[in-house]
Amino acid sequence: MDRFATTDKQPSSVVQDSTVTEFQSWPVESVDVQPYALGWQSQLERSLKIETLKIETLADDAVREKFEIIVVPVQLANKLPKTIGFAFAEVPEIAPVAPPPAKKQATDKLEPAAEPNSDSSEKPEAKHFTRIRPPSDLVKLEDRLFFVLQPPLESLLSNAQLTFPFRPFPYQFEGVAFLFPRLAAILADEMGLGKTMQAITTIRMLLMSGEIRNVLLICPKPLVTNWVREFKLWAPEIPVAVIEGDQALRNYIWQSPAAPVKIANYELLMRDRQTVESDMKFDLVVLDEAQRIKNRSSTTAQIVCNINRTRSWALTGTPIENSSEDLVSIFEFLSPGYLKDDMHLKSMSQACRDYILRRTKDKVLTEMPPKLFRDAELDLNPDQKISYKAAEEEGVVQLSEMGEELTIQHVFELVLRLKQICNFDPLTGSSCKFERLEADLEEVAASGKKAIVFSQWVKTLDRMTDKLQRFCPLQYHGRIPSHKRDDVLKRFKEDPKCHVILMSYGAGAVGLNLQFCHYVFLFDRWWNPAIEDQAINRAHRLGVTGPVTVTRMMTVDTIEQRIHNVLEEKRELLTTLFAEASKPRNLGLSQKEIFGLFNLNLPRAEAA
Amino acid sequence: MSSSSGESTAIGFLSVRLHPELGYFGGYLVLNAIGRPLEFHCTLPIRASRAQEILFGNTLEDFICGEQIARALVSKAKFPSCFVVTDVAAVLSLRRVHSQPVVYISVPAASPASSMNYPVGQPIQLSGFTAAENKISVLPEFAADKSVVQQHVERIAPKIDFSEPFGRIAEALLEAHPSAKAA
Repeated sequence: MDRFATTDKQPSSVVQDSTVTEFQSWPVESVDVQPYALGWQSQLERSLKIETLKIETLADDAVREKFEIIVVPVQLANKLPKTIGFAFAEVPEIAPVAPPPAKKQATDKLEPAAEPNSDSSEKPEAKHFTRIRPPSDLVKLEDRLFFVLQPPLESLLSNAQLTFPFRPFPYQFEGVAFLFPRLAAILADEMGLGKTMQAITTIRMLLMSGEIRNVLLICPKPLVTNWVREFKLWAPEIPVAVIEGDQALRNYIWQSPAAPVKIANYELLMRDRQTVESDMKFDLVVLDEAQRIKNRSSTTAQIVCNINRTRSWALTGTPIENSSEDLVSIFEFLSPGYLKDDMHLKSMSQACRDYILRRTKDKVLTEMPPKLFRDAELDLNPDQKISYKAAEEEGVVQLSEMGEELTIQHVFELVLRLKQICNFDPLTGSSCKFERLEADLEEVAASGKKAIVFSQWVKTLDRMTDKLQRFCPLQYHGRIPSHKRDDVLKRFKEDPKCHVILMSYGAGAVGLNLQFCHYVFLFDRWWNPAIEDQAINRAHRLGVTGPVTVTRMMTVDTIEQRIHNVLEEKRELLTTLFAEASKPRNLGLSQKEIFGLFNLNLPRAEAA
Repeated sequence: MSSSSGESTAIGFLSVRLHPELGYFGGYLVLNAIGRPLEFHCTLPIRASRAQEILFGNTLEDFICGEQIARALVSKAKFPSCFVVTDVAAVLSLRRVHSQPVVYISVPAASPASSMNYPVGQPIQLSGFTAAENKISVLPEFAADKSVVQQHVERIAPKIDFSEPFGRIAEALLEAHPSAKAA
């Protein structure tokens, strides 16, 4: 053990060649080390010299005297980080509303989580939060944070005890969150997804939070009663005034502050132009079926653009019916000059991305019953064939002989004449379509279901009415006075004997909720697929309780089939319009295409 | 924001997020009883100095999050809150320098795409309890805060969800610091 004896020599130097070092200030008597001799390490025979080291510390006075002590202060806690602060004005709380008396709704079967939120004492199971996000054109950070920091819609509505007849779908909350902060917006959801409900709910929230005070809603005349009804359903506490009556009464309603929401129709705006364009100011103007202003040079478009307002919203399921110019026209109302006709479609698509919200049923309503299309391709009856052939040959000859005098109107007239023959033979009243319709309606009635039949002509609807009496048919078209239309719809819905309603595309294509119908018949075809879609979606919309079968009637080897083929191509393009950068310039039938229906060349005058 | 009795009905929500390059961001949101924002404060990003890293060691995040960021934020608020909720345990050390209760609630991490994450703090001992169905905790040395918080919650917001406002704070921090959006 003496080989590992240590010395107690002070002060120590740096210990070298040592594997054991004790850094302590007291002497070490000995270190008991048991080496493991391998035999080949001669170094192990040599005594190991281990020295202890004494660390001189500042506690020793002698050391302190010897060294100059430098103290480096480190600032640790006194300096707090810089902050930025934002204070938000306290907005009035959304007033609690007593829940409406519970009533059975025909449409509630498909609604998710049907219980009203007012009486839910339990926390929601799934935490899905819909947040209001600021629009990209909102620049000021404080304004952006105001929206970012708002509570999610679910809790906002729940805390404020706002009641809904049905719990909205998540995508509808997203629609509300989209509209709420926007001064200019297009809600372009596919028909039947509840644009009306989303707009009403947002208006309700804006009104009750004090963000807006007066709203003007403009819609087609047939939809006024529908809007009134929807307001009663979704915002029963908000007084709504319909602009109607004689001039004096209308003036009174326009000026009356009693109702924060005023509903006017497009047709009426023409008569009240002076009033509307005067010094009236609205916090929000909503255009329903905003495609009505797709022609920006129309008086209607000019009037709505002249209304003094802060917020502008457009609701439409078909923001582009014919060409991108339709969208430019709607933007002339929302934000004049923002879009231009000559913009490249890709640039236009990017520019309007933050202003448009469009969802389709297949994306958001995966649980919705399907829409089944049946193309009933029918051969003309012999009588119809004779009439059709004669009319076509005669017509084409006449058109060909017109030469430079030929206009689009002449071609249209021939198209209409031929389409009418496809519906009913003008001489005998024979109709292959009607025979098929009658047979189908037998089945519809036998199963206790209801059907909608669309036609372009009231005269065609009249003919059908006479022949379908056993199904108790009702009519809904432009000749039915507005004040009677609600009664017609009510009877159709409630009377079990009424199995069919005959509608014109013009009156019945928009805004109606007929989701209790499971069959739609397009007796003749409209020029534009978007209009047909709107018509079909009267039945295939939220609340529909089963698949909707759509029968598109078409006579083979006729003008109908030629139009159908062109429109199918257009429909394909329409579906890709919002997704694709390269889009067609025109989605309706162009003049060239209309002339092409009869293999006619576009005259130079028309081409110019 | 106070009730007719003069007692505060505002609740403070305080979060700290760590950006891998820019450092710590703090956000403090004061809400009224129905969850509407009254005020929002956020810090500029801060990084711990080398000296702080050495000297604070394991307690560094308690210091940065609780005693620096949280303290700065709370001191700027004009609306007195009856208590402060945080989703970062390190912020609980604020309680040592703040007169009102500070409670912690565990909130699921933000989406992976977010460039701001929760600071990875040292495990600390907590004393848990429940208020309005929210499982929350306080530092054991302030266990008396439990009943105070429960009383406040019962009084002003018996249905409140403590975790929801932190999503707002995270989005607000990204709005206020656009440079942090790029990961």
